[in-house]
Amino acid sequence: MILQFDLPESAASCIQLEQGERIYYTVPFDVAENSKWLPDSYLAVSTKHLWVIQKGELREKLRLSECRNARAEANIGCGLLVLEHNGVQRYIVQYSAKHLSRYAYVARGINILISGREEEVISNEYEKICPDCGRAIPGTRYCPHCSKEGGFWRSFLKMSAPYKKNFVGIIILMILAAVVTLLNPEVQKHLVDDVLTNGSGGMGVAFTCLGIMFFLSVGIVVINILKSYYCTVLGAKIAKDLREKLFAKIQILSLSFINDRRPGELMNRIVFDTGKIRDFMERTFCNMFTVCFIFACDIIFMLALSVKLSLLSFIFIPFAVVITYLFRKNIHRRFHLQWKKSDDVNSNLQDVISGMRVVKSYGKEEAEKVKFNHLAEEFCHVQTRNEVFWAVFNPGVSFLMGAGVFLVVYFGGVDVLRGEMTTGELLQFITYTQLLYQYLNWMTSMPRDLMNLISSIERINDVMAQEPFIEDVEDPVELEVKGEIEFRHATFGYKSYQPVLEDLNLKIHKGEMIGIVGASGTGKSTLINLIMRLYEVDDGNLLVDGHDIKEIKSDRFHSQIGVVLQETFLFSGTILNNIRFSRPDASYEEVVRAAKLANAHDFICKTPDGYNTYVGEKGYSLSGGERQRIAIARAILNEPRLLILDEATASLDTESEFMIQKALERLTEGRTTFAIAHRLSTLQNADRLIVIDGHQVAEVGSHEELIKKGGIYYRLVKAQLEMQG
Amino acid sequence: MAEEFKIEQMEKEVEEMTALRYLTKENAVFQRTEGGFVSLEYDGKKWDRVQVIRLFPFTEPDQFISIRTVEERSKEIGVIADMKQVSKDTRKMLEQQLNLHYFTPVIQKIMDIKDEYGYAYFHVMTDRGECRFTINMGGNAVVRLTDSRLLITDLDENRFEIPDVFRLTQKEQRKLDLFL
Repeated sequence: MILQFDLPESAASCIQLEQGERIYYTVPFDVAENSKWLPDSYLAVSTKHLWVIQKGELREKLRLSECRNARAEANIGCGLLVLEHNGVQRYIVQYSAKHLSRYAYVARGINILISGREEEVISNEYEKICPDCGRAIPGTRYCPHCSKEGGFWRSFLKMSAPYKKNFVGIIILMILAAVVTLLNPEVQKHLVDDVLTNGSGGMGVAFTCLGIMFFLSVGIVVINILKSYYCTVLGAKIAKDLREKLFAKIQILSLSFINDRRPGELMNRIVFDTGKIRDFMERTFCNMFTVCFIFACDIIFMLALSVKLSLLSFIFIPFAVVITYLFRKNIHRRFHLQWKKSDDVNSNLQDVISGMRVVKSYGKEEAEKVKFNHLAEEFCHVQTRNEVFWAVFNPGVSFLMGAGVFLVVYFGGVDVLRGEMTTGELLQFITYTQLLYQYLNWMTSMPRDLMNLISSIERINDVMAQEPFIEDVEDPVELEVKGEIEFRHATFGYKSYQPVLEDLNLKIHKGEMIGIVGASGTGKSTLINLIMRLYEVDDGNLLVDGHDIKEIKSDRFHSQIGVVLQETFLFSGTILNNIRFSRPDASYEEVVRAAKLANAHDFICKTPDGYNTYVGEKGYSLSGGERQRIAIARAILNEPRLLILDEATASLDTESEFMIQKALERLTEGRTTFAIAHRLSTLQNADRLIVIDGHQVAEVGSHEELIKKGGIYYRLVKAQLEMQG
Repeated sequence: MAEEFKIEQMEKEVEEMTALRYLTKENAVFQRTEGGFVSLEYDGKKWDRVQVIRLFPFTEPDQFISIRTVEERSKEIGVIADMKQVSKDTRKMLEQQLNLHYFTPVIQKIMDIKDEYGYAYFHVMTDRGECRFTINMGGNAVVRLTDSRLLITDLDENRFEIPDVFRLTQKEQRKLDLFL
């Protein structure tokens, strides 16, 4: 994301820098004080000042030393840059949603400059609209339009390089197909002119000609079948290989890369974009060379036969192109509408059926019926209209497209009668004309297919080109984790404009059990995510045993962590495999021990297939508590150095919670443990409690200390006792 | 654990949370702040800056205005039932705050819609001036709030409103057809 826009001349001239002053950020703002759109206005931040330039004039210049606490407030469809100037909170500029994230970075940058540091904030987010051509960028770093064609062909070639042989084979087949297609009319001409019209050749020659024609026709079919077959196989192979590569790549990318994208988008890239490449291979590429080759030869042959007739049939090409284009656009429009209406019907149906209990209990069946009927009628109406349109116009368009042939037949016929052209030549010419129009439709849709392919390739390349997040630094530390953790000025947010933790400072000693408390959404799980190194801090440091977590070899580090999360995820597979997930080579005895410790053994015995019971999406269904106990067994099995319990016992009944608490006590001994819990009684064994509020650690201390303090923790305990009470 | 828990205070807090309090020109005093925001004095308390939120932004933009505290977990101080019930000056400054909080241009005229490779490029005239924006045709960029009211969200999450589709010309409606 661009944080340094090029200022136009008029704006640049407003800025006069002092000695040693440097411009850090220049970003546009686009909403005026009267709430209208505002062009050509910029906010510039230098090492000493903040400049507001509105329509080429300097509106304001603030001294950074008089400012505090810059904040980008995200509102509805717009945002405000707010800061304290000489102790008064005020807003500096308003901008539309287009610049929301941009200002979040700039606000952070301003705060860094205010604090006297000189680091520059850089954004790795992508622009959504290409600053050069104004087109939307389909979720990639570079605009597929502006990345030069050569770039695309290069990446296409690079992608297809391993399949060179297959490509060559297919191209040969394509050329063969074209040659055979074009040869047929030639033989036909020979048959008509030399055999039928003159009557000179006799039956023998006639049969030879027919034989060749038959052979060629069969040849075309065979070649086309082979061609389609190889293209399909190759397309499927390329798609499969890409899918595997993408999947492998996505696994090593950071969670933030995955979370930055809408859910399903990455799935789309693996399934849909690779499918697009397969489609392209099957539908477009399969015919690409054949059609181009036929097209070119066709035109040459036609010109060779008769220049006049060729020009006559070419006259219709622009019309034909326009007609097909308009027709297709109209069809697309109509059927898109139909699709949308059917979608409405479907989603209404889904709504009502899944909400049936509510509908019935409020007695709203009749109202829902009316609503549904209305939608169904609309869909029916659109569908009927479209089918009628299709039935009427499709033959009409075909007729118009073929109209050029009538002219050719007329003028050609005149020529034949005058003896300027033979009947066979006319016949041949007509066949070529028909071929020309036949492929015209295909040619006009090619740019769209190509563009689709380019977008898909761009999106795939975008993932492939991502730097893996957990790329260990050169020479990473092979750390035997002891368990001392320290946060130093750590700042982090999932979205750039919404920090979850800000300037967090905290030191946890080896073997300590830490309870993390706070209202929901305050960042408890985030804190843990950082410790697990699923994300990296945006600013500041996180140290493990005195080493920056970024310098520690990541797979070694992860193998020493045990995690029980709030949402217990079990993979499709047996209970045994799920427990063994953390350590696949664990013996049966170890698995059973771990399950006993986690109080899971007894319920596993009750399942029909014991430890071999299949669980997961389609398997034996376990209750929330049972799932959680399996997850605890999984963590125990790993004998972790760092234990993380995120609401680990939340979905258990009091009795089993007690049992597991006892088990966990044994487990947590001597291990640094982080436990999040809403039920505060769960945390009574914690050495220290930390209360997170307002993006920071609000309170630290033991249970008694915090109660004495009478702050947030005190209020939480009070509220819970009241509830029980 | 010396202190006793005060049930009364808890109950009072719950009461506070559930009560619907109306602010009127008699009981509330709004004032502009130096920094461009609005402060409030009400019920013997003073807030240096308050947040102004519409409860029914589409259907009743001038009624049910919630006045809230600005911190992260903001609490409601009170509701203005109707902007007509406050003084002209107050109304003006509250509207100014609403404009800082909401930016939803209303589309008055559609000059052009071009669709290309799954994205649609709009060129429109809004009540905030002329503008161009881009939407993703695959997603739910165009939402029908009612039969005639549309909300369009562009790639940048800017929002545009068409209060009544049928007030547009036939030609403009045809351009929009693809998204309805």
